[in-house]
Amino acid sequence: MMSFFTQYAWLIPALPLLGFALITFTPLRQSKAASGWTATGLMLAATLIALGLLAAVAGAPAGDAHGEGFAFPAPAVVQRFVWAPAGSSSLAMGVYVDSPAAVMLAMVTITATCIHLFSIGYMASNPRQSRFFSFISLFASAMLLMVMADNLLLFFMAWEIMGLCSYLLIGFLYERPQAYRAAVKAFITTRIGDVLMLLGLVYLWTQAGSLAFGTGEGEIFNPEFLHRIGGEPGILGMSHATGIALLIFAGTVGKSAQFPLHVWLPDAMEGPTPVSALIHAATMVSAGVFLVARTYPIFLADNGTALAVVAFVGAFTALFAATIAVAQYDIKRILAYSTLSQLGFMVAALGIGGWVAGMFHLLAHAFFKALLFLGSGAVIHAMEATPAIEKIHHQDEYAAQQTAQDIRNMGGLRQKLPWTFWTYTAGYLALAGIVPFAGFWSKDEILAHAMENGNIVVYAVLAVAAFLTAFYMTRQWFLVFFGAFRGEKPVVYVNAEPAPSHHAADHGDHHAEHGDHHADHNLWHESPTMTAALAVLASFAVTAGFFNLPFSMPGGHWLSHIWGQEAAPLNWTVAGISLTVALAGIAAGWYAYRSAFAKAQDTDPLDARAPGLFRILHEKYRVDELYAASFGRLTAVLALAWAFLDRRILDGIINGVGSLTLFLSRVNYIVDDTLLNDGPRADGA
Amino acid sequence: MPAYLIPSPGGVPWLTLLMLSPLLGIALVGMAGALRWDDRLVKIGVTAWMGLPIAIAAVVAAGFNATATADGQGAVQFVEKIPWIQAIRVDYFLGVDGLSLPLVLLTVVMAPLAAAASWGVTERAKTHFALLLLLEAAMIGYFLALNFFFFFIFWEFSLVPAFFLIQLWGRENRRYAAFKFFIYTMAGSVGLLLLFQVIYLATRSAGIPTFDLITLGRLGQGLPVDGAAGSLRDIIFAYVDRLGLTASLGRYPLLYTSIAFWAIFIAFAIKLAVWPFHTWLPDAYGEAPVAGSILLSAVMSKMGAYGMLRIMLPLVPDAAQYFAPVMGALALVGIVAGSFGALANIGGDIKRLIAYTSINHMGYVMLAIAAAAALPGGASQDSRAIAINGALMQMVAHGLSTGALFYLAGALHARTGSWQLSGLGGLRSVAPTFAGVMGVATFANLGLPGMAGFVGEFFIFRGAWASLPLFTGLAVIGLIITALALLLMFQRIFLGPPGEVAQGFADLRPAELWATAPFLALLLLLGVYPAPIMNLFNAAATQLVAVFLRALS
Repeated sequence: MMSFFTQYAWLIPALPLLGFALITFTPLRQSKAASGWTATGLMLAATLIALGLLAAVAGAPAGDAHGEGFAFPAPAVVQRFVWAPAGSSSLAMGVYVDSPAAVMLAMVTITATCIHLFSIGYMASNPRQSRFFSFISLFASAMLLMVMADNLLLFFMAWEIMGLCSYLLIGFLYERPQAYRAAVKAFITTRIGDVLMLLGLVYLWTQAGSLAFGTGEGEIFNPEFLHRIGGEPGILGMSHATGIALLIFAGTVGKSAQFPLHVWLPDAMEGPTPVSALIHAATMVSAGVFLVARTYPIFLADNGTALAVVAFVGAFTALFAATIAVAQYDIKRILAYSTLSQLGFMVAALGIGGWVAGMFHLLAHAFFKALLFLGSGAVIHAMEATPAIEKIHHQDEYAAQQTAQDIRNMGGLRQKLPWTFWTYTAGYLALAGIVPFAGFWSKDEILAHAMENGNIVVYAVLAVAAFLTAFYMTRQWFLVFFGAFRGEKPVVYVNAEPAPSHHAADHGDHHAEHGDHHADHNLWHESPTMTAALAVLASFAVTAGFFNLPFSMPGGHWLSHIWGQEAAPLNWTVAGISLTVALAGIAAGWYAYRSAFAKAQDTDPLDARAPGLFRILHEKYRVDELYAASFGRLTAVLALAWAFLDRRILDGIINGVGSLTLFLSRVNYIVDDTLLNDGPRADGA
Repeated sequence: MPAYLIPSPGGVPWLTLLMLSPLLGIALVGMAGALRWDDRLVKIGVTAWMGLPIAIAAVVAAGFNATATADGQGAVQFVEKIPWIQAIRVDYFLGVDGLSLPLVLLTVVMAPLAAAASWGVTERAKTHFALLLLLEAAMIGYFLALNFFFFFIFWEFSLVPAFFLIQLWGRENRRYAAFKFFIYTMAGSVGLLLLFQVIYLATRSAGIPTFDLITLGRLGQGLPVDGAAGSLRDIIFAYVDRLGLTASLGRYPLLYTSIAFWAIFIAFAIKLAVWPFHTWLPDAYGEAPVAGSILLSAVMSKMGAYGMLRIMLPLVPDAAQYFAPVMGALALVGIVAGSFGALANIGGDIKRLIAYTSINHMGYVMLAIAAAAALPGGASQDSRAIAINGALMQMVAHGLSTGALFYLAGALHARTGSWQLSGLGGLRSVAPTFAGVMGVATFANLGLPGMAGFVGEFFIFRGAWASLPLFTGLAVIGLIITALALLLMFQRIFLGPPGEVAQGFADLRPAELWATAPFLALLLLLGVYPAPIMNLFNAAATQLVAVFLRALS
């Protein structure tokens, strides 16, 4: 049964790609507003097709779960063409949509549309607005293509294009050293994971004979094939399945910023805030989770080693990042560490066998984390227009932005930014895990899964992380929206690398990230496109959990059902504990910060209590410094060593041979001349 | 003619025309010189004239049957075979197969870019452009010649225009670089020349005297050849046995093919800049004028890899298989050394930086060739064919992207007067198109998916993994470090606040944009849909590796 939506599913990535092409190569690029609306309109069209496709896919009868173990539902769309010859075989490319992909497509298109819409307001006065929209259109296209890729190579290619867009958008404000350094750091750090993933792909292709999704002969989920690679010994004493799974998982560690490759994501916050929302919270970073979910049968094919590693890395990152988030002041960095932590939850869920739980949390998290980021963007946008920060802006734009992002300088924004406040609160409660917001249901499903499968350690680690999540979000929420406004006398960011002073004439060019507020008499302004986007996302933050309610009722377990997976009933004990943990976190946050920060320069209550601990958390366990001192220095030394080897040793030999030849010919000349001829001539020639 | 040789359709000597068309251009330049025409006319004229080889090559590509195989090898097509020097059995023998056609196409496509890069040449411009045409003709001839006599003449002769391009229009250190380049390649090929004397004598004593590379390749692979019995290894062994050498050196056939292997390998490894024979390359690429850098990096380095595919693998497969781990190890060192070498130049010379990335990229090609030849260890014919496919794809992609990068580096130099990366920064604000075009070329070069370079690298890794997993696994270091070096290069030039150098810095002119755009478009096209180019060589590559499916010694 091919409906319009299944027939033309390929339009979903094609439309944003068209947007990219139009904005990049036609005169549209000269128009800021038109570029934004073009991108948003095409994104909206893609959303409608994605929703139609989801309806078509969900309406089709889902295949029964194949008894024991895990199996994907049958795909609704498979369209392939030969892409490259490979000896006697060939490599095909195409689209492959099954119900998990269809749900992902809907989520990505909805969040992307909201973020496009938000950006129209947010980037309104940026002179490079059209470039911004061309990049995020390309990004959206790549992400959507990745979701519906029919094989791992296409998946990887789209994955890398996303990496390129991430690089371009983190470094969007490329005059700033902080921005372009963060961009390179992101690209290279994720590339470390990516090249290992590439090895996983070539390993898998070598074993399977193709990289195509599907259970048929020669496809990578073929049961006999999986059985074989699970049994045969491969590299380093592991089975083929373990080796392949771990190499693929390395890609996840890079892209989803899991420990130890997490260092790039917080720095990625140098990009404009809608980018942080779209790429570094909702979609691209969760692609790593989707990768594991997509190749799950391979992870299940071995004896459990690969999934144990996955669970360990995920749980560790969940807790590790949550502790760091407690001691940050930058509103976006708190959210960034929160993202790391939540991605850890998803990875851990997959690691303990909770495929539905992990995917469910991925979807729910995308909505509320995008919402939180956009909300923080609205806050920053408003903060940058305050007089104290405007003043800094005239001297040092970067310092102004950093100052505007410091939650110590905020306070009392509840009344000033009501729309932002209410929508942010929805996102906050969803992230903290309060019933009935989205995060409660999805996080609870992970915890319930851990409990039921007897993974007590994972359960305990994640519960502590959940407590910390509620705690740091409450801290942030209080400091931003409650108390008195502290921004008249802000803690000013000290910029170690101030950009050279600009001339008044080109000032407009450097009004990079926020609007020109001089003409705006209403200081605390919320743009309509921005609030509309926030409202849509907030509605999902409230309701996204209902898509997989753990009750046996019509519409209950909807996602599990359409994914063809078995659904666990609600575990009241676990749900009760989860809610208690979340409430305890909120209570602790409220207790600690209810009257903290009368003025911006005050000490954080945690800092006052435990300065040593606070400092190490604030400095992110100094992992960056450790990497710089080890890998960074090693790379530099090796570069110098190779240069020396080439210049002195190898070239020394080459030139030595040349000199020796010259010398020998000289000797020969003298011998010839003195012995065989009549000796040197008198004129010395 | 045997079935594996397909004569040129209709008897039109397309390949001769292809090879001679640049030479005819030289005659026109000479006429322009005699008539004292304006240099500008010559520059535009030569660049336009280079469209003619492209057109002829397009005819050849259109008439090429990519799936044709016969008697265990990809069919050699458009064959022209005329007896030339009967006494030593030298034929005028031209032909293309899947291994040479992509490189011929690359050559004719890259030549106009080199010409466009020379528009700024003011001194002896006519000579300069005549040399470019001469170099183009020599390289085309090299890829088309199938008799060792002509093959070697073109091989050596291509050095001459390249030498003079470096020597006369190069930078400060040009004399050193030109001599190093010339002498190094020359010295490396002495062994090759001597070897073919021996091979000729050996085949003569076996009753089939020949310099025919196709026949010798078939003998080497043990494929049937009219009038011959036994493989090339047997023929060589019988010959040295008759000379009495086996009495002192031992009766090991592999020993003699190994000597042959090293004679061949060193000649081509120097050209391909395989570590440790690579140190001429940064000097030559760095000191050459931009057109020289483009042709040297984009096409001439591929002459080495082509030689390995045309001569080394087919003639001495047993020794190639035996020494495959050594080649793989050298490839790996080159991959890593090239990437770190590029990184070491990040504060220095942009051309040397790009040169080192070339060493890195050619390391992957070497790795693929080694992997295709390696002992069977579960590596299927498909895996090996994939490796060779990857190597050829990588060569084409690297030619296009490095050529574009060198061209843009030249455009940068024309504006700033310096090759140093240290004084730059912030140019993206004033030259967004320049930054965009160079950005695309940079990412194409570092192997971004969606661009042709990725396809080559991925296929190489896939093919090499099956037979040399350890080297392949370690080679990813090169992927990371090269990316880092290239990103830092881009950053040094374009990012950051606009500095002094940005004052009056002009964006890419339309002519410069249109010079590079076709190459970037090709890279994108072949990266998104590589089948058209890969279909050209897949069949030939698959046949080429068949011999390695069994242990040969």
